[in-house]
Amino acid sequence: MQRSVQAWAQSLVGDETPYARAFENLILALIAVSVVSVAFEATEDLPRWAAEAFRISEIVIVAVFSFEYLMRIIAAPKKLAFIFSFAGLVDLVSIAPFYLAGFDVRYIRVLRVLRVLRVLKVQRRTLEKAVAERTRELAERNLALLQAQKQITAELDVARALQIAILPSTFPANAGCDGAARMIPATTMGGDFYDFIELPDKRIGLVMADVSGKGVPAAFFMAVARTNLRELAVHHLDPSDCLTCTNEILCTQNPMDLFVTVFYCVFDPASGVLRYANGGHNPPCVRRTDGSIEMLNDAGGLVLGAIPGAKYADQMVQLRHGDRLVLYTDGITEAFNAAQEAYGMPRLIAEIQAHGNGAAAALVERICHSVADFAGAAAQSDDITLAVLAWHAPGGK
Amino acid sequence: MHTVLESVGKITLVSPRGRLDFGSAADFQAQIEGAMTGAGTAPVGVLIDCAGLDYVSSAGLRVFLIAARAAKRAGIAFGVCDLKPSVREVFEISGFRELMPVHADRPQALAQMLK
Repeated sequence: MQRSVQAWAQSLVGDETPYARAFENLILALIAVSVVSVAFEATEDLPRWAAEAFRISEIVIVAVFSFEYLMRIIAAPKKLAFIFSFAGLVDLVSIAPFYLAGFDVRYIRVLRVLRVLRVLKVQRRTLEKAVAERTRELAERNLALLQAQKQITAELDVARALQIAILPSTFPANAGCDGAARMIPATTMGGDFYDFIELPDKRIGLVMADVSGKGVPAAFFMAVARTNLRELAVHHLDPSDCLTCTNEILCTQNPMDLFVTVFYCVFDPASGVLRYANGGHNPPCVRRTDGSIEMLNDAGGLVLGAIPGAKYADQMVQLRHGDRLVLYTDGITEAFNAAQEAYGMPRLIAEIQAHGNGAAAALVERICHSVADFAGAAAQSDDITLAVLAWHAPGGK
Repeated sequence: MHTVLESVGKITLVSPRGRLDFGSAADFQAQIEGAMTGAGTAPVGVLIDCAGLDYVSSAGLRVFLIAARAAKRAGIAFGVCDLKPSVREVFEISGFRELMPVHADRPQALAQMLK
């Protein structure tokens, strides 16, 4: 019983309930009336009816204030502490003059203005509570965002792994030549790719490509480009034909205005003949056994996916026993170090000249190390992709 | 990278400075699109002066491609000029030289475009 009375009192004079808000407004209005009446009572020739009205209003006000004071005592968990608190004393002072009949202490009623301070104090507390509440909500939303970001990052990691997984990890066995390749992805999803395609007559297709831009769009476009190229390569044995057809298809499947640079070549391990066409890609190089380098830069053509109807031309080079073909993307030549210097073509050529005599995989590793050493702590901004073909003529001549 | 926009007669000149890569491509694209639609009066031509452009990645090249296409659709003359050797090399390898008019320098480009 006692508990429920206390709960009821709390609902009336507590900080937050709707009743309390209304009750508080009533108290504020009464304070205003009370202060005004003190001022008017001071006038000499007050009409009788007015004096009577002020007297009645004073009784009502004191009755309400007394009731409120009582409620606060009931609602307070520590009653003595409330009575002697600032708020408790202010409440008492605002009604005491009425009960102290005989003393002319009416002017002390002006102290009721102090009660306004108390109300303001309560409102500040309510405001602080609201701010704390909002801060907590924000923290919760931040946490949700963080979790969403975590999930997106995890999904991107999976996409990245899938993207790398579709690249061939080994060179076709029994190809009559030795090949190796590596792609070191940049932190953001990129669009480099290479491919080894087994063609009729034991010929082999080699692809080195780089999709413009980064992120999920580039990765999708890479998958589309790679799949189409692989499909068409089997039916179009001329590299230029293959690029022309791939370009037509990519132009119709390109809502993001992306493009891809592609170097595509078909190698015949029986004869050592390499036929190639270039869709806007960095020209690869051939290392002869004497260490000299030939750039395959005579097959300039437009990037794929840019405009329909682009034409490509076939070129040809005769590989000799022990020669190496090195295909790469600009992630190598444009790997930057902390001083913003690019790795550049001369460094790449020097590496190929100095270390091109071993196995294809050894040269790939060698160049990747050289680029990593050069870049040092600088962040890798682009995919680094490299493929090497080593040919040993049947019979070794 | 930052980009300067100015008008020479009815040609809008867009001058990118610094490195145009994946990080700066979106901004550069917005600048060019702004230059093309213009504030009220669309220009007769848009010329990208690359004298201050040190480096273009493939993401940067893509903006040139998008701009050339947009200009064609809008019936606006489009061109680039004053390529530094490194940028010129990228334009040559990618075949972009064949895709849009590449002028030696600004006066020559303006003369051609206003013809």
